[in-house]
Amino acid sequence: MKTDLSGLAAMAFVWILLASPVSQAEQISVEITIPKINSQPYHKPYVAVWLESAQRKGVHTLAFWHEQKDWYKDVRQWWRKIGRQQSPIYDQVTGATRKPGTYTLKIDNKELTKLNLIPGEYFLNVEAVREEGGREFIRQKIVIGAREVKHYEKSGQHELGKVAIKVMP
Amino acid sequence: MLSVSKLTKVIAAKGSTIKALATLTLALLLPLKAIAHERFILPSHTILSGDKRQSVSFIASISNEIFHGDRPLGDNGKGVSVPELAPLFKQLKPVVIGPDGARRDMSWQAFSRFSVADAHFKVAGTYRIALVQPNVPMTTFTKVDGSKGRFFGNQGEVPAGASNIVKRTTASRVETYVSFNQPNNRALQSTGEGLELAGKTHPNDLFVDEVLSFQLMFEGKQLKQATKVKVVQGATRHRNQRDEQVIKTDDQGMFSLTIAEAGFYLLSANIDVKGKLGSNIDIHHYGLYATLEVFLQ
Repeated sequence: MKTDLSGLAAMAFVWILLASPVSQAEQISVEITIPKINSQPYHKPYVAVWLESAQRKGVHTLAFWHEQKDWYKDVRQWWRKIGRQQSPIYDQVTGATRKPGTYTLKIDNKELTKLNLIPGEYFLNVEAVREEGGREFIRQKIVIGAREVKHYEKSGQHELGKVAIKVMP
Repeated sequence: MLSVSKLTKVIAAKGSTIKALATLTLALLLPLKAIAHERFILPSHTILSGDKRQSVSFIASISNEIFHGDRPLGDNGKGVSVPELAPLFKQLKPVVIGPDGARRDMSWQAFSRFSVADAHFKVAGTYRIALVQPNVPMTTFTKVDGSKGRFFGNQGEVPAGASNIVKRTTASRVETYVSFNQPNNRALQSTGEGLELAGKTHPNDLFVDEVLSFQLMFEGKQLKQATKVKVVQGATRHRNQRDEQVIKTDDQGMFSLTIAEAGFYLLSANIDVKGKLGSNIDIHHYGLYATLEVFLQ
């Protein structure tokens, strides 16, 4: 069988493009809304926003809002995928719980480069748990490394409002 | 069921030794159902986080209503007196295996319907909390009137005219698992004692709609004989049906399942192993009762 070397070279070139870390200009933003809930007493929710690989391996925490470490375990999916292993470390993005409102979280270019992500499918997860209240877990498959801007939108029913994700090339 | 004396007649009539032996083995296996009860340890928590010491409280019971107590299981001598269970409690070994593999003691106290214990966790990792009953001799028989009888140990007496006399040992392992901060696998390694749970899935990483892969180990080796594993969700009292999942292990003891609803589940398996020739024991019975907590996605 005759081997078409030019074809192989082209394939290798494409493969290198696909396998190389995403470009420096890439940026991800996530807008989440914590809804107002009429509840007495009302506790602000613990919220985690994080990225997982397509195989559901924890990659990066964009935000983790909490009060006491005893209750971290109740942010169940985040706890099993990232929290309990402390890996990747999420200290820089942790903070106190937030009151109802809309918040925008970002992975900037510098962070994204550090993560060394291979272009492809990922899961963006948002989990909210409220003491004496409910729990909500939203997962959205996103594509990182596409040529055009990608928009995704999901809506929570109880503990989360709108979740809007933008992935820029 | 056929009594042994009737069996002997059948054997004599048929004159086939091999067939007779097979029938006898079957007859020996049957009465066990009548004496087996479910048993369990129910933990208040299976997953913990924190930077301070964490505690978990447990109840243990012999009960057919899953996770609702009926009789206590385990006592440190300070609990309610239960004379008929005292010999069993004397044999029970409360064992906590820590993330480093070291064994710690645990103190259970009997109440009327269940036993209670506390455990405290300072070091991160996975803990295995068990009540282990080593091989306890027991003799079962059928009385002349057809009713079944049994006694523990070697002290009892088989009543005159009794038939279907089987000398057994029963061993069981009742356990559950707790992980504080990051789980690890050290406590899950087989101790080599009786029937144990192993496998790819960590027992503190159980979520609905995911494939859970486990393996049964017997005396530290993979269990070769195909065995039924029963998985039942708690609160059987409040359901008309027990809704058990029954899964068969393969020739390496492996089995997998998925669970649709979050909750506490009791996983159990029982095997019978024929006593060695000249051991004066017909059957060794081993049971495993593991409590698992399954979470929502």
